[in-house]
Formats: sequence, C-alpha cells, structure tokens
Amino acid sequence: MKHQSKLNPEQQQSRQAGAEQQTRQQPALEFATAEELLRYDAAHTPVPAGVERRLQQSAGDLPRPKPAWWKRLWGGTQP
Amino acid sequence: MNEPVAEREGSDEAPDDLAPSEFADLYTAHSRAIYYLTLRFLGDPQKAEDATHDVFLKAFRKMDQFRGEASWRTWLYRIAINHCRNLQQAWHSRHLFSNADEAVWENTPATTDSQLRVLETKELGERIQKALDGLPEEYRLLLLLVADEELSYEQVGALTGQSSDAVRGKLHRARKAFAVLFKKSDPLPEHEASIKT
Repeated sequence: MKHQSKLNPEQQQSRQAGAEQQTRQQPALEFATAEELLRYDAAHTPVPAGVERRLQQSAGDLPRPKPAWWKRLWGGTQP
Repeated sequence: MNEPVAEREGSDEAPDDLAPSEFADLYTAHSRAIYYLTLRFLGDPQKAEDATHDVFLKAFRKMDQFRGEASWRTWLYRIAINHCRNLQQAWHSRHLFSNADEAVWENTPATTDSQLRVLETKELGERIQKALDGLPEEYRLLLLLVADEELSYEQVGALTGQSSDAVRGKLHRARKAFAVLFKKSDPLPEHEASIKT
C-alpha cells in the first residue's frame, strides 16, 4: 500500500524548504594554515585505480631492476 | 599486502633482483603523495595520472641508483618535480594551456563519499586549484611540499634548492598569498571553507 503523507501541501513545502536550507548550511570548514587545507584536500584525493593497473603493465614489460648497491651490502630500508 | 621490506633485512644474501613486492610497497606508501603533488602542480587530473605513472615507472627503472642518502619519499618527489617541470616547459614552448576537464574532476573524490561530500570536495578542490594556479611556481611547490608532514623543512629545502631558513621565510609569504587568492575564489563566503588569516 502506498504511504500517504499526513502533511498538507504548505507543510510539505515548508519541510522541504527546511531540508534544503539544512543541506546548504553545512558546517563551515576552517583551517589554520594553507598546509592544513592542502592536507585535508590530499586526504580526500585518492589515486585513480587506473594508475596502478597501467604501472603493473608497464613494469611487467621491463626487466626487474637490481637492488641499490648499498642495499646489496647492508640490506634494505622501509620504503 | 606483501611482506614488508624491513622484515627481510635479516636475510644473509641480498637477492639478485628486486622483489616485485618491494616496488608494490613503495607504490602503496607514496603514490597518494606523488599523485597529489602532480595533480596540484599540473592542475589537471588526467595529466597527473599520466605523470604519477611515469614517475613510478622511472623509479622502477632507476631503483638501483637510489643511494639511500635521501628518503624514498624525497627521492620520488625529486623525480616528480623534475618530471612536472619538464612537462610544463614542453607545454609552454608549444603555447598550450588547457583547463582541467570538468568530467574528470567528477571522478577525483573518493567513491565512498556521499553525494554531498563529493560535491563539496569537488568545489573545494577547484578553489584550491585556482588559488594555487595564481601563485608563483616557487610558492606553489613550497606549500605542497610543506603540507606533507613526512618532510622536514631541511628536506623541503633540499628539494627546492634552498636553506631551511629560506623555506621558513618564503613559507610565510606563500601562506599569505594563498590565503588571499583562496578567499577571492569563494563564491558563498558563509558556506565554504576558510583559512584564518
């Protein structure tokens, strides 16, 4: 059974306007410095998945690189 | 994910070839930072995608030349900065200036975000890009590098060819210039992000 709204058209309009206003009034984002803003932006900017796929293809066509000379002597460091 | 490199350090014999997992670890640890730098430096998501691919491919080819004097992050940033500068020089010499494609921007925010979040992030990204585009290259690069918390002022200085004191001095001016341009790009001051000045 279809749900019938108990609100009259004016009430519906008023509720809709309220919801739209709420949507528009998102809490303002405030940053102390430009770097802080850029950090926020970076955190919301993922690397497109296509890059990894293309890289796997491109690197797959190449011979494996040798480890660095210092690594052959002393072992590696965390990338 | 694959076995971290650090856990293999006890091995007596270094492998003749670099394990693919090591490069995967490198990509996982640094690709976001490199992509973000190229995105905001070049101002075009498609070009940033290509540049990130090229930077890591270059790193893959030249891993044996990594001397361990700098961190992996710094080494990758150096490749990325040189690559972006070369690209920009090539474009400028051909007098080609292109604006970011609107359709590509739509794909940039995280897919897990809600619709409103996506819209907001997209607008914020556009404003940041506009402000960065208005800065001299030196300031733009400085802000992008200093924003990476993994880099010290000394490392930023090494990447930009100046002392850490010079970085601090210029950073102050770069912040101010960015804040002015960012404020200018604000379409609805009461609803948007702001920087305290």
